Amino acid sequence: MKTVEIAVIGGGPAGLSAAINAASLGAKVAIIERDDQLGGQLRKQTHMFFGSKEQYASTRGVDIAVMLQEELKKYQDNVDVYTDTTVLGLYEDGVLTIEQSGKYMKLKPERIIVATGASEKFLAFPNNDLPGIYGAGAVQTLMNIYGVKPGNNVLMVGAGNIGLIVSYQLMQAGVNVKAIIDAAPRIGGYLVHASKVRRMGIPILTSHTVKYAYGKDSLEKVTIWQLDEQWKPIPGTEKDFEVDVMCISVGLSPLAELLWQAGCKMVYVPELGGHVPLRDENMETSVKGIYIAGDVAGVEEASSAIVEGRLAGLCAAKSLGYANEDFEKMKQEYLQQLHSLRSGPVGEKIIKGLSKVTVQGGI
Amino acid sequence: MLEKTGIPTKEDIKSITPSEERRRKGPVAVIECFQKIPCNPCYTSCKFGAIKEFKDINDRPVVDFDKCTGCGVCVVNCPGLAIFIIDETYSDTEALVKIPYEFIPLPEEGSYVTALNREGKPVCRAKVVKVQNAKSQDRTPVVSLAVPKEYSMEVRFFNINDYFSDNTYICRCEELTLGELRELIRMGYRTLDEIKRISRAGMGPCQGRTCRQLIMQELAKTTGQKMEEMPMTTFRPPVKAIKLGALAGGDDNE
Repeated sequence: MKTVEIAVIGGGPAGLSAAINAASLGAKVAIIERDDQLGGQLRKQTHMFFGSKEQYASTRGVDIAVMLQEELKKYQDNVDVYTDTTVLGLYEDGVLTIEQSGKYMKLKPERIIVATGASEKFLAFPNNDLPGIYGAGAVQTLMNIYGVKPGNNVLMVGAGNIGLIVSYQLMQAGVNVKAIIDAAPRIGGYLVHASKVRRMGIPILTSHTVKYAYGKDSLEKVTIWQLDEQWKPIPGTEKDFEVDVMCISVGLSPLAELLWQAGCKMVYVPELGGHVPLRDENMETSVKGIYIAGDVAGVEEASSAIVEGRLAGLCAAKSLGYANEDFEKMKQEYLQQLHSLRSGPVGEKIIKGLSKVTVQGGI
Repeated sequence: MLEKTGIPTKEDIKSITPSEERRRKGPVAVIECFQKIPCNPCYTSCKFGAIKEFKDINDRPVVDFDKCTGCGVCVVNCPGLAIFIIDETYSDTEALVKIPYEFIPLPEEGSYVTALNREGKPVCRAKVVKVQNAKSQDRTPVVSLAVPKEYSMEVRFFNINDYFSDNTYICRCEELTLGELRELIRMGYRTLDEIKRISRAGMGPCQGRTCRQLIMQELAKTTGQKMEEMPMTTFRPPVKAIKLGALAGGDDNE
């Protein structure tokens, strides 16, 4: 069985940042990514990122993916990159079972950083299995990774940042977005994103949800209706949209299966997207040696995922004795960055969620 | 309201509009960012210190209009594409509005496009004065539109199609184009009736249902008349085209 000092599961913004920090301190790192390239969701983010310089603000996500990989290359003597490789199981004895391009193998790391990200939530309505109904992230992958146009006319369900951004990118790709609807009474994403699509003429209908999807072989029409203040549909408010694509963008849930398997203590926290593990301020879970970073620790923006990754990488390396004198300074710097990213009104929900799962001074 | 529709309210816009006095002095940045979000590139990219220091990354940008030169660096650094440059000194009658535009094809300099407001509704015809797409802009081209001065705080996007072109039909029945209508107004025809008599607009099969509103809008826009105060044409029967035979047949009761 192969061994390694630190296995990082997931090669997105959190995993890459964790691997960079751990390897830069001298730890031997294996970074495991199920896709055939590193970068995770960054690879399809063609828009500029928010945040500040430390989190690559004003840089496009797709370019951040390249920058992080360049940074990782500086420490390539300490890093093994496994792409097209999926971690299948995480056992109580700390062994990972892995499938790499059809081959099965085991890996015994001394420390594990789980940075698996999140998956898209789905929505229940009649005929939601019709071809043409996608997750918004899937449509983004089709367009921005594979260059495939998903259809001609789209109804976007969800006015969070993903729904708003993917709507904008659909319009850039020459696809007509008929409307963006959201069951909530207010737009959930950043209002600058909302204004950006609104001035292109795309209506945003808050307090609306899907009633019914129609189509013979694939999606042809969607009926929506309005919700009252108790989120109950109001009969008679139905509107039809003739669309061949409907994108569902109603939130993400942490991809936490491996953490469950490992026996980490999990808590259901709606503010963070679902079940997430208890953690201390070093991003270590209740199972010694298993760390977390990014959306699996609680669904947030990529900017926070990057900082959490850096923090987890730093702390996991330190626990193996790879400390430098700047440890405490760096750790405080990352905690400060996370604090400021979350300190505004849009971070209130995250702070509330994190207060339910963050244990000070070890679990 | 902004949080429900994505459209900033009049009060929102008023709160960030530079004074008339400042606008008369030259180009200036208008930042339409109304929500506290963790984002500060506008502040860190400004070389003139014209955006007040962010004490907290969630602060909203506040422009010191006296320091702002309207250079436009913040426009391409704003991840929300929420910054525009307006320059009311462009000409006696027109202002420049600089808009970040991440779409292909880019409009050609010198071409005309349809300027849109914050709801995506057509406002006016606009000439593309400049298209900037330098490497430093990192794939956020900036398009400068010349628009009538009164629309400098209104125009925020555009459709590359020139819907207000001189070739656009105003009266389809009698084939009056927008260009011909503009020429008539320029020559001094100032009422619907005058325009109808000289051009036959409104005298075709649809009896003005297509053109009446459009002519009134153009009159309002170019002469400053109010729509509600415009004298209407005289309405006479028949309201739709009928066969001569129907008239020749006389009244059924006679």
